[in-house]
Amino acid sequence: MEDNGHNTFWTKYLNKQLMKDEKNKESTDEIQRENMKLREEIQKLEEEIQEATRDFQIKEDIPEAQMKFTSVKKSKNNSEVLNASCSFQVSSQIFYELQRGQALITFEEEEVAQQVIAIGRHYVKIGDVNLEVIAQQVPLNTGVRFQVHVDVSKMKIRVTEIPDELPEDQMRDKLELSFCKSRLGGGEVECVHYDKQSHSAVITFVEAGVADRILKKKDYPLTINQKCHRVTVAPFIEKHLKKYQIFSGVSQKTVLLTGLEGIQMDEEMVEDLVSIHFQRVKNGGGEVDVVKCSLAQPYVAYFEE
Amino acid sequence: MSVILDDVLCTLQEEQTRLKMKLQELQKLRRELRDSTKDKVPFPMPEVPLVFRGHTEESQEVPKYLFSNLQMCCPLPGSSALVTFDDPKVAEQVLRKKVHKIDMEECRLLVEVQPLELPSMTTIQVSNQPDGQRVLVSGIPSGLELKEEELLDKLEIFFGKARNGGGDVETRELLQGSVMLGFAKEEVAQNLCQIGQFRVSLGGQQVTLKVSPYVSGKIQKAEIKCQPVARSVLVVNIPDVLDSQELHDILEIHFQKPTRGGGEVEDLTVVPPGQQGLAVFTSESP
Repeated sequence: MEDNGHNTFWTKYLNKQLMKDEKNKESTDEIQRENMKLREEIQKLEEEIQEATRDFQIKEDIPEAQMKFTSVKKSKNNSEVLNASCSFQVSSQIFYELQRGQALITFEEEEVAQQVIAIGRHYVKIGDVNLEVIAQQVPLNTGVRFQVHVDVSKMKIRVTEIPDELPEDQMRDKLELSFCKSRLGGGEVECVHYDKQSHSAVITFVEAGVADRILKKKDYPLTINQKCHRVTVAPFIEKHLKKYQIFSGVSQKTVLLTGLEGIQMDEEMVEDLVSIHFQRVKNGGGEVDVVKCSLAQPYVAYFEE
Repeated sequence: MSVILDDVLCTLQEEQTRLKMKLQELQKLRRELRDSTKDKVPFPMPEVPLVFRGHTEESQEVPKYLFSNLQMCCPLPGSSALVTFDDPKVAEQVLRKKVHKIDMEECRLLVEVQPLELPSMTTIQVSNQPDGQRVLVSGIPSGLELKEEELLDKLEIFFGKARNGGGDVETRELLQGSVMLGFAKEEVAQNLCQIGQFRVSLGGQQVTLKVSPYVSGKIQKAEIKCQPVARSVLVVNIPDVLDSQELHDILEIHFQKPTRGGGEVEDLTVVPPGQQGLAVFTSESP
């Protein structure tokens, strides 16, 4: 009898232990999986941070755009050399990462926004609760903006892979002789800039259209002492930046509100309640333009001029 | 066995706590590094007022730069005409024949047709480049009744004087809310930055201007390709037998004829012989 009771006790104990072990094994497996995920995330972040700490650089692909005809500017001055050109503006996107429990509110008037920040602590009725909401400046990142200008010459071409066989003066002459032959596609040469060291040259033609004609092919025959060499030809392109400006974004009409964590309500409802509260002059507010609240998930909020 | 498992579980849990802490640290560092320019540019920068208008995105993959004001230009030779069609397919069809015969009352006009190619940039790499000879002049009030040239002139005069701490100005550029001045001598630029603040008379008022080092930008790499314009066609080598208005009408009639492979013409501009034209194209999307 005692043996049986003892047995049952031990069986129960062992069963309990077995169940505990199984649960532990499940937990360890789960934790191992979680740890692996964490390690992967950490590695990704470390790589990202390494990239970012290299010298401030912009490295971007520029989106393609369909171009439409706008106008033609006419000039009677035939000697004015016109280039094919391209220009565009690049500006940093300034944004704020809105975390859970935060909201952004934009007022119509700057003074109202500054006043709301000066008051600092506000008590907003959300549901049955009088929530303490703190108003502060929105910290914004620095950005850069500039214009890019590209000019493709219609009168000049860039020549490379010129053999290093002759002294500078002579090679310049050979280049002019080859490139002025119309039966080869060339035309009257205005001038030649030859750089022996880099095996390259810039050739300027007298008339428009010659450069385009030559550039239809990737190379051109250069004759030196009865031997024909093929040199590479490419468009002569000049690119430069204008109006380069580093700036810091500052928000004057938009205010950051914090303290909205854990509210069990629809984001839109909370936005409405916040808007109503801050519209009232007696609450220190005024006309409200926009309210965006983050409760369940973070958002990236863009700031514009 | 369960004791060992307990230990293993404990170790794993400790490791997870450590990993979570490290993750949080790195996330904080990445947030701070979004301001990485602040570290490299340790002096006051011009402030640009910005406003939140409700534009939000859910993803963390934020495109960092906005590209706008895209414009491309192409020179047009004399004795040519630029024809822009409503439908890109019509342009394609017109380009299939290199030579077009245009019927007129008493004779035929033989003209050549070719596509128009525009240069565009596909990728760009730009980096900051501190420039010892240039300074940024900021604090210019926005309500000034001065035109660009006038403002630049007045600043060049003031900062060109040795008695103000300045010197010969080589370059100048109006930026948004501030001005960049480039001096012939680096010492002059450095001296002005050291002084920092200046009282200058602008537009009838006394204004306090700040001078700080200017960081310039440099293109490290850029890829440029030429792309044909979809809806436009260039007509060249037009014989000089008609005046511009007549030529315009005759060409338009010819290129509108579906029987000649043409279609609705959106625009037709003639460049008379002996003149030059510059065709301007802007981006289709706003």
